[in-house]
Amino acid sequence: MMAAIYATLLIAFILDLLGHQRFAVPCLFISLALCILLFLWEIYSPIYGFRMPWLQVEVAPLSAPFAG
Amino acid sequence: MSEIKRVVTLTASVLSGLFLLAMLLGLAVVLTTAMVLQYSFGEIPCPLCLLQRFAIFGCCFGLIKQLHSDSESGTGISLIFSILLLVISARQTLLDIVPRPGHEYVGGAIFGIHMPVWSIFIALALLIGLAVRLTLFGGLRSAAAVESHLIRRSAQGLAIYVVFICSVNFLSVIVQCGIDQCHRSEYRLFVG
Repeated sequence: MMAAIYATLLIAFILDLLGHQRFAVPCLFISLALCILLFLWEIYSPIYGFRMPWLQVEVAPLSAPFAG
Repeated sequence: MSEIKRVVTLTASVLSGLFLLAMLLGLAVVLTTAMVLQYSFGEIPCPLCLLQRFAIFGCCFGLIKQLHSDSESGTGISLIFSILLLVISARQTLLDIVPRPGHEYVGGAIFGIHMPVWSIFIALALLIGLAVRLTLFGGLRSAAAVESHLIRRSAQGLAIYVVFICSVNFLSVIVQCGIDQCHRSEYRLFVG
């Protein structure tokens, strides 16, 4: 997948350099779509999903005016 | 009056071109540094690091397009890829922020700051730079920045260099990942 992303990016660059902007930009957006798919696949965990449970926050104790 | 307007437009065009060239040069330096760290210091990039490099290349594409165009579509492309870079690097920073089993080593640091955090700084700098350029020159430009001979030559040279390092990165990805998942610890094609 990573190879496909870089291949389409390189093709987009070469097409742009050769003056074929009409085809270069769609090629770039194909590589962008592949990149987003791979990014989502990389960060997805079968256990946690897209969550990051190691990031913990504590609920601060409420001060008097807001308590109760 | 039209002569004054022509001079102002030309000056704005040249300054805008120099601004874009400086940003493109900065990104080329960042990509070259990443490659030097990879090949000289053995820092094999993780999949998210490779995606961040991809996002930086996308920004370069937009800047190169903007240098040769009188529309602002190149800036739009650079903005899209800057946001992509920010999202990927922020997510990686949050993944690496707490040492976990299997994630003890998160790569080397430059000036005490790790690569994904540098990527966040780069993405923010890009967003600010593009916003400043649009604010200063967005309405004044009526001609492509490459009308200046020096800017045209420099832009062409930098564009060729960026395409060259993109092709080196493509070959490197093939060696590291093949056509499958990427290895973090070794180059797949060099494993016996």
